Amino acid sequence: METPLAIVINHLDFTYPDGKQALRAVQCQVAQGESIGLVGPNGAGKTTLFLCLAGVLNAASGSLRVAGLDPRIPAERKQLPARVGIIFQNSDDQLFSTTVGDDVAFGPLNLGLPTNEVRGRVAEALTHVGLAGFDARVPFHLSGGEKRRAAIAGVLAMRPEILLLDEPSMFLDPRGRRELIHLLNGLAVTKVIASHDLKLILDTCRRVIVLDRGSIAADGSAENILRDTALMEAHGLESPFR
Amino acid sequence: MTLALDISAVKPSVIQRLDPRWKLAGVLLATLAMGWLRTGPAACTALLSAFALVLLARLPLQWYLRRLGAATLLFVVFLAWLPFVVEEGDLTFDLSIVALSLTGLEQLAILSARLVGMVSLMLVLVATAPLHDTFKAARALFIPGLLVQLVLLTYRYVFLLMEEFGRLRTALRVRGFRNRADLHSYRTIGQVAGTLLVRSYERSERVGQAMRCRGFDGQFRSLHEFRTRPADVLAFGLLAGWAIGLAAWDWFAR
Repeated sequence: METPLAIVINHLDFTYPDGKQALRAVQCQVAQGESIGLVGPNGAGKTTLFLCLAGVLNAASGSLRVAGLDPRIPAERKQLPARVGIIFQNSDDQLFSTTVGDDVAFGPLNLGLPTNEVRGRVAEALTHVGLAGFDARVPFHLSGGEKRRAAIAGVLAMRPEILLLDEPSMFLDPRGRRELIHLLNGLAVTKVIASHDLKLILDTCRRVIVLDRGSIAADGSAENILRDTALMEAHGLESPFR
Repeated sequence: MTLALDISAVKPSVIQRLDPRWKLAGVLLATLAMGWLRTGPAACTALLSAFALVLLARLPLQWYLRRLGAATLLFVVFLAWLPFVVEEGDLTFDLSIVALSLTGLEQLAILSARLVGMVSLMLVLVATAPLHDTFKAARALFIPGLLVQLVLLTYRYVFLLMEEFGRLRTALRVRGFRNRADLHSYRTIGQVAGTLLVRSYERSERVGQAMRCRGFDGQFRSLHEFRTRPADVLAFGLLAGWAIGLAAWDWFAR
């Protein structure tokens, strides 16, 4: 039996108001439960693609279905936060509440869940990321790794089907990075991980998509693509096998 | 950090146990009344009452003084010149080099008493309840949501801006910049301020995106459930009565 699709993108284009075209005819499919690495140089369009998938940016043309929803239809876009979680590059952009507990509760409360269930989800998400007992801590006082885990907990508490992670290992020390890999491998949801950390991609993803100048340059198994030194260098990347 | 309103240092107290809505309403009323005072005796009574509330709230002395100092320091610039402005008919005190206006000194004392009293009340408010609860209480009291969110986000991100400013300052210093009273320094400070503004704007866009991705629809929600007890109503009644009484006394004494 064929695995259902979590993300379907057809000829997606996106141009910023200043005229810069960030995505050009992007086309790909992601099966449910798949873990995909999205790699490419700076300015390749990775973050823009994530923002289109999350319904924050509206693509000019092409079609898009995420968790069975079309982000361009307002009624369906409203349902996206419950189905798609996005972890931003800089955790400080995501942690805006005055305590970690309040921040993790932010999403579930917005979903209109009863208080008791929200409390349960907060405790569960914090335990999942190894931050049990951090509820009353102030986000500003956390270390880089703790902030990242708190940001992940905030998204996990919403129990999304799809996780989009933008540079998840940024600002992490080696131990924080190892813990992150362990955490990601333990999450049984569809994951798309955009990163320059190709070793992390190799440890967490079986399939890799190379995005360059807004277009998909390659799509295949992580092992094959990341071993292809010529391909990596042609797109401003470095093979982790060197 | 002086600005951080870390409430972990505050001991449990009667004020802390009050429902944030009643507490906020009472403190806001008292602060408004304090801002309205014009006479010395009423201002001094208000200041002493504010100190009594600080004691009742069991705020740690150092914590309280540091924040009070930081807040009042901002107003020194506006108040310090008052005794030096001598108007016709003012009683003056001649110091050979300069004459001090006794009316100005009286004004300085009244304004300072009001200011310290109001800041003390605000510190009692923020120290005795998690900020999130106070913000939710503000919404329950029909304070506009946009205003509440602005205050919340300003509080959260002012520290990041300070960090960013610190990094920019270090970057300037390692490249030999020293702050002097010349055109180059003024231009550099202007550029730093501009950079901070642009970065803040970009950050606000990213924060907005992150909030929308987690289902934010403009409504302010919190896990804290409010419950009114007789003690909350009594505390509000006392504060409101005190505020109205003080304002009336001041009105008749003018």
